[in-house]
Amino acid sequence: MIFITLLIIIMLIGAIVSCILKDLLSAVIVGGAVSLIAAILFYYLQAPDVAMAEASIGAALTTAIFVFAINKTKRLEENEENN
Amino acid sequence: MKKIISFVLLVIIFIGIYFAVSQIPYGKDKMSVSKHYLNNGVKENGASNIVTSVVLNYRGFDTLGELTILFIGAIGLGVVLFGFETKGKDIKSPSLILNAGSTFLFPFILLFGIYIFIHGHLSPGGGFQGGAVIASGFLISYLGYPKKRISEKGIHIVESLGGTLFILIGLLGLLLGGYFLSNILPKGTVNTLVSGGIIPLLYVLIGIKVGAELAGIIYKLME
Amino acid sequence: MESIGMAVTGFGTIFLFLGGLGILRLPDVYNRLQAGTKCTTLGAICTIIGVGLMEPQWFWKTLLIALFILLTNPISNHAIGRASKNSGVPLCDKSVIDKTEDFKK
Repeated sequence: MIFITLLIIIMLIGAIVSCILKDLLSAVIVGGAVSLIAAILFYYLQAPDVAMAEASIGAALTTAIFVFAINKTKRLEENEENN
Repeated sequence: MKKIISFVLLVIIFIGIYFAVSQIPYGKDKMSVSKHYLNNGVKENGASNIVTSVVLNYRGFDTLGELTILFIGAIGLGVVLFGFETKGKDIKSPSLILNAGSTFLFPFILLFGIYIFIHGHLSPGGGFQGGAVIASGFLISYLGYPKKRISEKGIHIVESLGGTLFILIGLLGLLLGGYFLSNILPKGTVNTLVSGGIIPLLYVLIGIKVGAELAGIIYKLME
Repeated sequence: MESIGMAVTGFGTIFLFLGGLGILRLPDVYNRLQAGTKCTTLGAICTIIGVGLMEPQWFWKTLLIALFILLTNPISNHAIGRASKNSGVPLCDKSVIDKTEDFKK
């Protein structure tokens, strides 16, 4: 029970961090880690089909597609002007 | 200022969803539809994986909608990247270790993906998971040999064939059974490979279609 | 047979912990890759084979999984190291020699 609470807290911190970072490549990798923790939690809740789908599509393919997209555009997010 | 407003809105939404979800009686006596699926699922379908029988037999039409969404996504990517000019940084030629490693690993990953969707009605897995594993196999072979490609026309033909055969089997069910996607083949004994009517056939078609689709997306992004 | 399995699994978890400690404390990307490859591969193999020894009907499947991890983990870390050298990540201050200058012809 303590283990699951710890995993959920790490998932929340990871999700908030990946929205704040300016370097887009690091944000994508942290997003992949959030997807991996979600797959572990699905397995703990006794749903192995959903866990397999989340691990293969969310952690592997989505990260790869995002890296290819960053290669074609820019890597550092610039400051937006607050109005 | 914008960050504070968005944070307060997030907290309000979190409290609302928490109070709405915590009042659902999970697994208690009021759920009659799920009790019917759990008690009569294996007898009516012949497949021992109940999730599979719900996805392809009780709710088969929604699976057709899911396949359509994936197809529209792939077409949208092709439309956006049609005349795209900027090339990005060049991908350097890979080293000897990556060449040899990807040549060795590619057949095994493909075999594992095919195993997952053939045994979809006996163990956890299914068409979508197997298709994603096949696409990862294609990804590692593209990283090992960036210049040598499997022909793109072949991948598009395989993907279209998968979707068309799915709909044809559904129409055959309409002709012989009375409703779209009805179960026309015999059920067989539980826990063997040939059992469950048309369920393993549909999963093979879904697996081939999703695998070819995702491999086509990666090929398009990499050139 | 069960006690041997439990001992091997415990041994594997100690190595995984040491791998994490190494990634935290070493000064440079290239040093951290050494800790990340060797410790985590060995720790994962020992843990999975330990589980295979505890339940003897799963033993051959766990052997296959351990073989797959042994083949793919070093290849991916080699790709990471080569990519970071080509992107220009600098070596740490206390480095003595850089052998990749010989291959830059």
